[in-house]
Amino acid sequence: MTTERETILLRSLTETTWRFYLWAGMLLAAVAWGLYAYLHQLRNGLAVTGLRDQVSWGLYITNFVFFIGISHAGTLISAILRVTRTDWRRPITRMAEAITVFSLCIGAPMVIVDLGRPDRLLNLFRYGRLQSPILWDVLSVSTYLTGCVLYFYLPLIPDLGMLADHPDLPNWRKRLYRTFSLGWKGTQPQKYLLEKAISIMAVFIIPLAVSVHTVVSWIFAMTLRPGWDSSIFGPYFVVGAIFSGCASVILSMYILRRVFRLEDYLLPLHFRNLGLLLLTFALLYTYFNINEYLTVGYKFPGMHKTLLEELMFGEYALSFWGVQMMGVFCPIALMIAVLAFKRHQQFIIPGVAFASAAVVAGAWAKRYLIVIPTLSSPYLPTQGVPWEWSHYRPTWVEWSITLAAFAGFLLIYTLVSKLLPMVSIWETRDEEAADTEAPERWPAKWRPNPALGTALIVVFALFCGSLARAGETRAARKPKATVISLDWHAISPSQTPPASGGEHVMPTTTPRAYLMLDRVFGRVGPGISLHEEDRPLPSINATASLLEQGGAGLSFKVVDFSLKTSFGILALGSWPTLDDGKASVVIRDRRYGQYLLMASFRGDDEAQAARGEAMVDFGPRPPAALPEAGVLITPYLTAGIGLPFVLFYGTMWVVLVYAFGYLILWRMRRNG
Amino acid sequence: MAPSRRSFIQFLAGGAGLLFLGWTALKALSARVFQAALPPRSVAPGNHRWVMVIDLAKCDGCKDCTKACNKMHFVPPFQEWIKVYEVSDNMAAGPYFLARPCMQCDNPPCVRGCPTGATFKRTDGIVIQDNDRCIGCRNCIAQCPYSARFFNWGEPKHTAEELAHPYSIEHNYPHRMGVVEKCIFCPDMLRAGKLPACAEACTMGAVYFGDELEDAVTNQKGETIQFSKVAKRGAAFRLLQELGTEPRVYYLPPAGRKYPAPDEKPHAMGSTA
Repeated sequence: MTTERETILLRSLTETTWRFYLWAGMLLAAVAWGLYAYLHQLRNGLAVTGLRDQVSWGLYITNFVFFIGISHAGTLISAILRVTRTDWRRPITRMAEAITVFSLCIGAPMVIVDLGRPDRLLNLFRYGRLQSPILWDVLSVSTYLTGCVLYFYLPLIPDLGMLADHPDLPNWRKRLYRTFSLGWKGTQPQKYLLEKAISIMAVFIIPLAVSVHTVVSWIFAMTLRPGWDSSIFGPYFVVGAIFSGCASVILSMYILRRVFRLEDYLLPLHFRNLGLLLLTFALLYTYFNINEYLTVGYKFPGMHKTLLEELMFGEYALSFWGVQMMGVFCPIALMIAVLAFKRHQQFIIPGVAFASAAVVAGAWAKRYLIVIPTLSSPYLPTQGVPWEWSHYRPTWVEWSITLAAFAGFLLIYTLVSKLLPMVSIWETRDEEAADTEAPERWPAKWRPNPALGTALIVVFALFCGSLARAGETRAARKPKATVISLDWHAISPSQTPPASGGEHVMPTTTPRAYLMLDRVFGRVGPGISLHEEDRPLPSINATASLLEQGGAGLSFKVVDFSLKTSFGILALGSWPTLDDGKASVVIRDRRYGQYLLMASFRGDDEAQAARGEAMVDFGPRPPAALPEAGVLITPYLTAGIGLPFVLFYGTMWVVLVYAFGYLILWRMRRNG
Repeated sequence: MAPSRRSFIQFLAGGAGLLFLGWTALKALSARVFQAALPPRSVAPGNHRWVMVIDLAKCDGCKDCTKACNKMHFVPPFQEWIKVYEVSDNMAAGPYFLARPCMQCDNPPCVRGCPTGATFKRTDGIVIQDNDRCIGCRNCIAQCPYSARFFNWGEPKHTAEELAHPYSIEHNYPHRMGVVEKCIFCPDMLRAGKLPACAEACTMGAVYFGDELEDAVTNQKGETIQFSKVAKRGAAFRLLQELGTEPRVYYLPPAGRKYPAPDEKPHAMGSTA
């Protein structure tokens, strides 16, 4: 049943040499050392790292961005090639998807390593605020990881079914393969359902992958820091991710080809095509780099200038230009040399692989240069802290954990490549069979019943309508804002002068674009309204009558007015009394609530000192509310920010459940 | 079967109907799901909007504010919740001292980015920090443009006096490892009707503090000035306000200073910028 070609392929599963044990042992030792370093960090806190208040993110976040980055190509390349029915993809999809899954398994925990209180990790779910980019990451990475594991697993099912019958394997492995093959027998309906599930997943994994790295970039782009505060960051990260991921796929192809002697499967054609893809992304990445730095460098605005000078000519100049040379320019030159010229054709495989290695190394260093220099050039100057607090030098703990992350990635890859065939057997077999037979359409068991469907839609509409009405009545019951009336005591008022416009008007903030959603879906959140009604300035005309004992007014005396506030007495000024002994003051401040107003006469040789007090009411204080300016600071989730995320990732979960739960677990297994 | 015009129009109408239904459903659901009330912890006692005014012309860089704050909150070493910078606006302008507490922004980037609501805005304008909830992701430190947030990298050194108090978000100690610290405008002092520690300690009278709704701010000397007037006539500015953070701390420009400039002072700080 297995051909010569497949025997070579399966040799990696059946034969184990001393070299494997040595390699796995080394990796295991590195991982164990990293675990020791992490325990050390858990015990003593992040003080054992080189991180301090100024550069508060370092190698861990660099690793996180790097591993999420290389996770990109795998699935994305495989999905795009699958959707476009490109046939040369067949031998490489498996190893590409494997890179995705394993690098996500390593990348995601790096954030936990970076946490100050990993013991409180569950707070993310207990109190999670979807307004925070961190939560976006939790949502997108977990969805993506699930999707990628399933997308890796689905095309494995036929191979698992085949391996379960393989004679050279020990029994426990056969049993394992049997269990996970979900009763695969290779019948026509099973093939149809599997192909269908894979195609659905392939379509949806593409936007999911794009969203994940965009969201990772938003952790940075949603801050106000120079260098991060950039609208180009989403696509820049996505392109950078595919670039580095593509390189890591090529690199793994090269290594697996050498180690497992897969020359029959991985042909120069694959290296050429993927090399072209890598070259394309290298050029795209160059384009993004120019765009990113030129737009800033042309204008040199404020703090960006400091950052750019540090990067290009200052402290980071060597690494910055080194990374650009090693990670972008040299690989481009090398790839053009081997791909564009016929006489260099024999160098395609080593040339492209070498370029890929440089790209992967450059990608890691580039992530470092994205994270650290920005943090070390804050808006306010660094003063009065020790040198080490403002200059980041990773410690042995961070390097050990980083080493362990890479070792862990390689270890998982090594172990899985001993457990599973790294080239899809059934798909490459199909390729040989000239892939003429398109899978027949399996007759649908259940057809939608139009009458039932209509009834369901009507019921749903009625339900929604009633909900909407319930919402409206609730809104109507809310008390309406009333007109403020001014009132006071003791000092008799005359009349309120019309509030003059332009008196210290607080700046109104312009509604942000995403609030348009809230116009439709209701108010933004607690205590925040888009259009707060213009509150008239509370104004008061206070009159103090300085009277003699007999009742006649004392004229031309100075009366001091003052107001008792929370922390002190606010002097309002002095006014002379007129003929009738009355001094009046117009108070037109932005003040609300009740205060003790005091009028005092210091006394002179004609009259004795006098004091008068009265409670004045400047009108009710505005209701306690969060400031209008803060839109995303609401304690509860609001529609404008919540719905897009919930809908996008909700759709993804529905698709995952449908493709895997229904098509595979429910229907395919029963069709065995 | 060739598609007829009729069937295509039916197809379009069906799609429009589905969109409309989905829209209605979303609207109804969002009205239900998204709450519109403030949680109790966001509602501060009393109806105040605290505001601080720092008169840079009066600040002589003595750092009494920092010392008082550190003492009152048992602030861990190398953290200065209110920090005195020595800055100058351009090459020609002489240096001046700039005290930087937390700006208690009205549009605080730290609160926006906090994944667990460990830092949140209260109705009195204070951006407060709940270290029972903080997971130590330090996104707020990355978000804050004022470098006003600090992290307990290791277990802070405790004093018996600090440990004698139970933890409260209103004074934010005893301090703990792996969480973020910041200036919180001393809510426990305000509750007692006293000025925050820094304002109380500033013998130069440079730090004014008060309620924006009372339109009055007071300094250590008991000088009470009208907030809106001093802000308007004194050309008050807010630090980095072009970033849209809407700070609640206002500065009066350092014009006409009465004290020697930083570079003339005998005890001038060494600038390490």
